[in-house]
Amino acid sequence: MIIIALISIPILTIGFKLFGGPGESWSHILEYVLVDYLQNSLLLALFCTLMVVLFGVTTAWLVSRFEFPFRKQLEWLLILPLAVPAYIMAYAYAGIFGYSGLFSKVAEAIGMNNFSIDMMNIYGLSFVLSISLFPYVYVSCRTFFLAQATNLLEASRMLGISEFKSFFKLIFPLARPAVIAGLVLVMMEVLNDYGAASYYGVSTFTTGIFRSWFSLGEPETAIYLSAILLIIVFALILFEKWQRRHLKFSASKTSKQNYNSRLKPKFINQIGFSFICFIPVLLGFILPVLQLIIWTKQTFSKVWTLDFVVVTLESFGIAFITALVTVLVALLLLFFTKWNKIEWLKSSSKLGILGYAIPGIIIAIGVLIPSLYLDKWLIENNITSKLILNATLIALVYAYVVRFLAVAYQPLESSSLKIDRSLSDSSKVLGKGNFRTFFKIEFPLIRTGLLSAFILVFIDILKELPLTLIMKPYDVNTLAVKAFEYASDEMVSSAALPSLLIILTALVPAIFLNKLLLKNASDT
Amino acid sequence: MKKVIYILSVAILVLSCKSENKTSDEAEELTVYTHRHYESDQDLFKQFEKETNIKLNIVNASADELIQKMSLEGEQSPADVLITVDAGRLYRAKSQNLLQPISSQLIDSIVPTHLKDEDSQWVGLTKRARVIAYSKEEVDPTKLSTYEELTSEQWQEDILVRSSSNIYNQSLLASMIANNDKAFAEKWAQGVVDNMARAPKGNDRDQVKAVANNEGQLAIVNTYYIGKLLNSEDENEVKAGESVTIFFPNQETTGTHINVSGIGVAKYSPNKENAIKFIEFLLKEEAQNIFAGSNYEYPVNPNVEPTGILKEWGDFKEDKLSLNELGKNNKEAVIIFDKVGWK
Repeated sequence: MIIIALISIPILTIGFKLFGGPGESWSHILEYVLVDYLQNSLLLALFCTLMVVLFGVTTAWLVSRFEFPFRKQLEWLLILPLAVPAYIMAYAYAGIFGYSGLFSKVAEAIGMNNFSIDMMNIYGLSFVLSISLFPYVYVSCRTFFLAQATNLLEASRMLGISEFKSFFKLIFPLARPAVIAGLVLVMMEVLNDYGAASYYGVSTFTTGIFRSWFSLGEPETAIYLSAILLIIVFALILFEKWQRRHLKFSASKTSKQNYNSRLKPKFINQIGFSFICFIPVLLGFILPVLQLIIWTKQTFSKVWTLDFVVVTLESFGIAFITALVTVLVALLLLFFTKWNKIEWLKSSSKLGILGYAIPGIIIAIGVLIPSLYLDKWLIENNITSKLILNATLIALVYAYVVRFLAVAYQPLESSSLKIDRSLSDSSKVLGKGNFRTFFKIEFPLIRTGLLSAFILVFIDILKELPLTLIMKPYDVNTLAVKAFEYASDEMVSSAALPSLLIILTALVPAIFLNKLLLKNASDT
Repeated sequence: MKKVIYILSVAILVLSCKSENKTSDEAEELTVYTHRHYESDQDLFKQFEKETNIKLNIVNASADELIQKMSLEGEQSPADVLITVDAGRLYRAKSQNLLQPISSQLIDSIVPTHLKDEDSQWVGLTKRARVIAYSKEEVDPTKLSTYEELTSEQWQEDILVRSSSNIYNQSLLASMIANNDKAFAEKWAQGVVDNMARAPKGNDRDQVKAVANNEGQLAIVNTYYIGKLLNSEDENEVKAGESVTIFFPNQETTGTHINVSGIGVAKYSPNKENAIKFIEFLLKEEAQNIFAGSNYEYPVNPNVEPTGILKEWGDFKEDKLSLNELGKNNKEAVIIFDKVGWK
């Protein structure tokens, strides 16, 4: 209850602001730009959905169902694009396809002079966002395929249904919660993106929010715009829940894994599969990182200082602590609503995960207002002498939790949906309390989901920018902030080193996540 | 697992050391909210700390966010000074009642009237000129004259310029509104949109690269970006910088549009005296030379002669329009941009 209240406060603060009405330029926005914002955002969402599902589901299915060369390596390589922040990806691709970039050099070398591809438009933006976000869908689908798809596929194979047919008839519909869980995260990131969209000159809802706030100087109008965005996101979530209302997703009771059950197709197909899985890795990781390495080589001596080691450690520490807190909060939220079958509590817990859809900057304001209020109250009552929440780690962590709760909540929810309800029910019938049941039965079953949640949040925090900029304590710095400082000075090549460090720091947990998925699968 | 714990404990240690430092340090302080994040600034800050023994707390974010933060913090705000990269934002901070008058004879004597607030609530630190960078190969510079002339037919599909979300474009249009009127400014913006080589995208450097790539002939950019391109570690950027020449428009009429990066003292500044010392330090010749030398901005201090590349570009007539006007007309400018479809 308290948690829900704490998480909801910033969002409600924003909500109350709505009653103040929009600023005076609202009619101007309606007349000239709103259609443009809506159109671009929806197109972007559509393109990204298509590409993300294509990349994410295909690769997840291939690596968990078939045996082919380099499968094990590709399994974890496919998570890596997640380590590249979308705005960095956008800069890197603009560099690759831009003036005298890698692409034009390659084109020249093979005799195609003056052939160029323009990345900086809505299609390029969709591509950049999709290629950096598809691992969300990949991870959640793969968790699903590893956990329960095998038995079903075995059964359908025995019935003589071809592998591809059963994929479309059986696995794809069943994997829907997993696909959607990943996709919801992707959509929220896409709708939230500011850095990449503004650089590529695509006016979306979020760039519109920034524009009306900062260029028109009307925070009220900005909050109005983000409320519309929120309603759209909320409608999407409700629609999805409504769609699957009749479907139950309990796993078969004997979800035993049999690792020898991976199919071995013909060799030529195997090569094909390796190749297919390699493409997203190449586009989402190897190419952009290559570009970053080229830039780093030019700027290393200037950018690399002892400070950087400290900043790296600080980023790591902040991300670790916050990810821990976020997962804990998500867990409490999930089980609290599960135990208490009160409808309004359930729906209000949904409010909590909305934070992810709100631009980080607006969350920051939502957190600043109440925490400053509390700070002022404390000072007035002589409990403290200066601001203890504002610009401290406490406020920063709090804001992060509000913002990233959904990232932790989604994998936890989808993994807890797989727990056969009769398991926890029987534990309760045997007289064990909620907590006991949780630790003995549910916790071990959702361990994988728990760690996926932790790692996803961890990586997200490493990359987070707008909220960090405004909430961080003066003497703490993160790599994302460093990268941004260089990039916003139009020194993209100097931003390469901190970007590479973000990627490297995020690599460790990404690889760890993969090991865990494997271990967990072979344990059960 | 052990390794993870190791790294983690080191990280926590670093974080906790930092927060301890903060409480034990009761020396003189100054909290700087700044939108600038250039290396030249960091050198200057270090030098200031060394000279005065005043410890600087730097908060780096965009001016809009900093203004929002200051207004939320109210009387409790730790901010002493606010530094922005344009006059419009300082005007906004002033109109939200977040600044206070700066009283210093030294500052008054250094900064020319048109480069500061009418009530001395903020002053410029460096000047930026928004100019036309034209292709050396394709453009005959005698055909160039004014911003207004960019809308003529001879430049069809030639103009490269970034998004109108960018403050430098907003200020340029705001100056047109102030120097003429709204209708004139709207006609001009429409004319530029009609002559654009492509939809606006990327930053100022990207516009110059597009000229180098022959996507258009004329780029509207701030001068210091050319300086940065020419001094880049990336050879392609140097090549792009070399492909253009700077033209200062409106020399026969109003003068080239300029903006400032400026500074104001926060209304509730806890260390007002230090704040003034800090501003004086930044306006003195030594600091002004560093701004000009490593960041290629024009000094506001008239006693400081432009050197190096700034000198090569030569003197020019600047628009003496009071920069307050840029702030006043900013919103109107944005609305015009939306109307004419300048993305």
